Amino acid sequence: MKWVSKDIETYSTAKEYVDTAVIPIYSVSFGNEMKQSASNAEFITLLTTYLERQFTGRLLLVPPFTYLKSDNQEDILQQLKKWEENIETSEFKHIFYITTEIDWKNFEKELTGSLIWLPSLPLEHLNDSQKISMVESQVKQLLSLFTQKWHENL
Amino acid sequence: MSKHRVSRRQFLTYTLTGVGGFMAAGMLMPMVRFAIDPVLTAEAGGDFIATPLKIKDITNEPQRVDFTFEQKDAWYTSDVTNTAWVYKDEQDNIVALSPVCKHLGCTVAWGTDKAHPDEFFCPCHFGRYTKDGTNVKGTPPIAPLDVYPIQEKDGLLYLGKAEPKTKEA
Ligand code: FES
Repeated sequence: MKWVSKDIETYSTAKEYVDTAVIPIYSVSFGNEMKQSASNAEFITLLTTYLERQFTGRLLLVPPFTYLKSDNQEDILQQLKKWEENIETSEFKHIFYITTEIDWKNFEKELTGSLIWLPSLPLEHLNDSQKISMVESQVKQLLSLFTQKWHENL
Repeated sequence: MSKHRVSRRQFLTYTLTGVGGFMAAGMLMPMVRFAIDPVLTAEAGGDFIATPLKIKDITNEPQRVDFTFEQKDAWYTSDVTNTAWVYKDEQDNIVALSPVCKHLGCTVAWGTDKAHPDEFFCPCHFGRYTKDGTNVKGTPPIAPLDVYPIQEKDGLLYLGKAEPKTKEA
């Protein structure tokens, strides 16, 4: 489900079925890194949108967690932990973070949710159908990761 | 003096009512449009969209076909890719089923559940459907999979807008 009123309405009537929250994470930077930043964001957005389509009925796609790349890492982590607390108290059993930022790997242990790191793929020179098949092949691997997690804590 | 005040108040009242009325109209207009709009656009839904699948390549085994079309979402136009599961039934009729689970909308696939290789399976809450799209009793889905109306043009399969399956025993 997406973060739109219609989906949230469905969510509130079917909470027991929607036990997974997905949070896209990407940083924002300006200057020289602007383009890379945008490209990462684009990739994560496309990927999570597609993922949501596959698993509409079981996961809620939360708005992305964004931060300035130049900010203090510890502060950013604390911020995300606050998100995590809030999401946990609202009955989500599984939390997945999806990001292309390798830095998050260092903080994996401090988070309750599962961190999924993917290398960002450059999409700028692809047409729509190429984009789709590229993202799709990435998501395929994620799908099994999700189903696995669901099976573990059944 | 007092005459002045009254007239000023009146003036204010009039202008405010005027402005208020204006604002109300401003709010009302789009609302009326929202109410009418779906009727106006309903016609466009009848379009059939070409898929890359050739009619002669359709077999008895459900196969996945993706097709892309333009969708208008408010002012935002985007290319949307939809999927259908297509096969020929025993009577040689072409069947095209929507992959959207009738429970909560996950994407179902053919034969992905090892225990039930000849069914459609929803990974989210283990919903199952038989080949003709009928939901298996005891699994979460409460209705059969939607069906796409089909057309043939130049040897290619064209699909319309998926509709709920007409009632069955
Ligand atoms: S969404 Fe398919 S079984 Fe729940």
